[in-house]
Amino acid sequence: MSSIQRRLTLALAGLCCVLWFGGAAAAYLAMRHGLILEFDYAHITDVNSLSNMTEQSPAGLKFDSTGEYMPTFRREDHPDYFQLWETDGTVLYRSPALEGDLPQRAGTLAVPKFWDVTLPDGEKGRAVGVRFVPNEDDEILRPAGAPPLTKEVILVAAFHRQELDQRLRYIGMVLLLGGLGMAAAAIVAVGFIVRRGLRPLSAVADRAAAIDASSLQLRFPTENLPAELLPIATRLNDLLARLESSFARERRFSADVAHELRTPIAELRALAEVALKWPEDRQATQHVLQDALAIALQMETVATGLMALARCEGNLLTVRPERVAIPALIQDVLTPLTARAGDKQLDITLDLPKEACWYTDAAALRSIVANLLTNAIDYSPTASPIRVRLCKNGAGEELSIINQNTYLAPEDLPHLFEQFWRKDPARSSQLNSGLGLALAKAYAQSLGLKLQAELNHAEIVFTLSGATACNDANG
Amino acid sequence: MHLLLIEDSIRLQSSVGRGLRKAGYAVDVTGDGEEGLWLAQSNRYDVIILDLMLPGIDGLTLLRRLRAKHNGTHVLILTAKDTLEDRVAGLQTGADDYLIKPFAFEELLARVQALCRRSYQRKNPKIEIGDLEIDSTSRLVRRKGKPIDLTAREFMLLEYLALRRGHVVSRTEIEAHIYSDSTEVMSNVVDSAVCLLRRKITLPGTAPIIQTRRGMGYILESARK
Repeated sequence: MSSIQRRLTLALAGLCCVLWFGGAAAAYLAMRHGLILEFDYAHITDVNSLSNMTEQSPAGLKFDSTGEYMPTFRREDHPDYFQLWETDGTVLYRSPALEGDLPQRAGTLAVPKFWDVTLPDGEKGRAVGVRFVPNEDDEILRPAGAPPLTKEVILVAAFHRQELDQRLRYIGMVLLLGGLGMAAAAIVAVGFIVRRGLRPLSAVADRAAAIDASSLQLRFPTENLPAELLPIATRLNDLLARLESSFARERRFSADVAHELRTPIAELRALAEVALKWPEDRQATQHVLQDALAIALQMETVATGLMALARCEGNLLTVRPERVAIPALIQDVLTPLTARAGDKQLDITLDLPKEACWYTDAAALRSIVANLLTNAIDYSPTASPIRVRLCKNGAGEELSIINQNTYLAPEDLPHLFEQFWRKDPARSSQLNSGLGLALAKAYAQSLGLKLQAELNHAEIVFTLSGATACNDANG
Repeated sequence: MHLLLIEDSIRLQSSVGRGLRKAGYAVDVTGDGEEGLWLAQSNRYDVIILDLMLPGIDGLTLLRRLRAKHNGTHVLILTAKDTLEDRVAGLQTGADDYLIKPFAFEELLARVQALCRRSYQRKNPKIEIGDLEIDSTSRLVRRKGKPIDLTAREFMLLEYLALRRGHVVSRTEIEAHIYSDSTEVMSNVVDSAVCLLRRKITLPGTAPIIQTRRGMGYILESARK
């Protein structure tokens, strides 16, 4: 499995090693160059001494080998070498230990030529070659008026470089061992740093692993979280909050459905069992049948409501827009409710322009309005007013149903459109199934309308807005 | 036996109440938690059948208040709440039994009978007093092995006197246990009921076992030989 920590550790440790070895190689080369320069220039003095020991006179060239020149050329063990040529190739002088010839290359005294060479004893060495005009012999004077002597000679000196190579090897070894140590230390240190750096990510991962459907109340800690992870944790927390709310709603919905079905089933079963146990009571049996029918109708209402909600939520509701005259629709809905309103002495006022017309699905709109008006009638106090008003609001029109409220509190509003929500925790009201407003909201959404409820002092106002007026639809 | 049914579903009040009455119990019914609590505290019931989701105060609160007042009446919770947490909470609050809706009426009846027996520290559903046998489960009465046909209320009266055998039971106690609040009790209805019962269970050649204690009430004792 791919691991950010492993990849980061390997990449950073690898980079550290590359940088170290690159730096070490550069340092080695620089030191090597410096040491060789130092070695070469240390031997320029020897070459200068040898050049001073070479003299010329009208009699010819000679090398003063009697002088005490550098003992390194005379030693028995690992002697250095030099050779002196005339420009025609005639060997003028060889150091005592040199039996053959040294390779001949030459610079000037000011800029000598240096190169690596294999010494006559088979070991590695460093050679320096110069071409120069030897000094005139002080003892054999040139005739007066004769031109100065300008004969050149070539001097090549070769020195053992064991000591130089040993130092270079030592430096190389130190750098290599240091590099290996550094690589090991880099892997450990980088691993630690990466692990430490990724600790918040690990904490987030551990918390995520601990969250399942039964622990949605858990949240990702956001305190001391790095700035890079903070937006992720915040978004995840938002997501969890929504999930928790959805799960809670789902559980509540399941419990509500169970309760809405269990109670009528219990009623039906008790009715039937008691009737079967004591069948001789004809009058009671008649009541049983009436109750059974009422229970069946109640269950049918719940089932129909649930199916309608499922259709709306699954976008399966077929919307057939048409011109809907609002006053006629309201009147149509109110007619069967008139007796119910009359019993409670409710005063229903319609404030609707005669020509009000929406381009929408008539059946769905009728269901919404019927639900709102039925609720208004059922929950209004006796002898109170109900107003149905249609008015312009900005570019659109909105339909409001306003009635006296003695039932709902502000904290109830967020739950008003939830499925099976009832103000009464006992859910004992048989007036409705608790699905009406949820269904009205779902229908409104399917029609592209907005259904809202607000408490205005002692009134509750349901507002349906966002409809397309017939004129606008024609345009 | 006198039961209190606290249930907000009108239809369950009606069917369960009717079934229990048919089974011989005196049943008071209410659909409101506050009223249920008041009834439970004002009367001596043998068993209270309690729904949890009630208007007024909920069933658990009602039960908690009842137990806080040291009311030891047996309580059977009858509810649609079926989770383990609900059941544990109900029993831990002081319920004696828990039945989930929907339920079999026979099971409810059996549980109510069991709780009634527990009210009188009895485990055997059969009561034997001399040659009189009373079977609380099958609601049958025999004397000298011969079945005696009793109405539900007569059975309830006999069972109540038998459960309190050897003790004088006052008319008020009989009224409280045999007649529900909804029944209008006439001044001499208990005397008439006892008289009728005595006549039914006294077979030729057997001694009366229900004695009248003038000014105090009635006592059921084994027939003196």
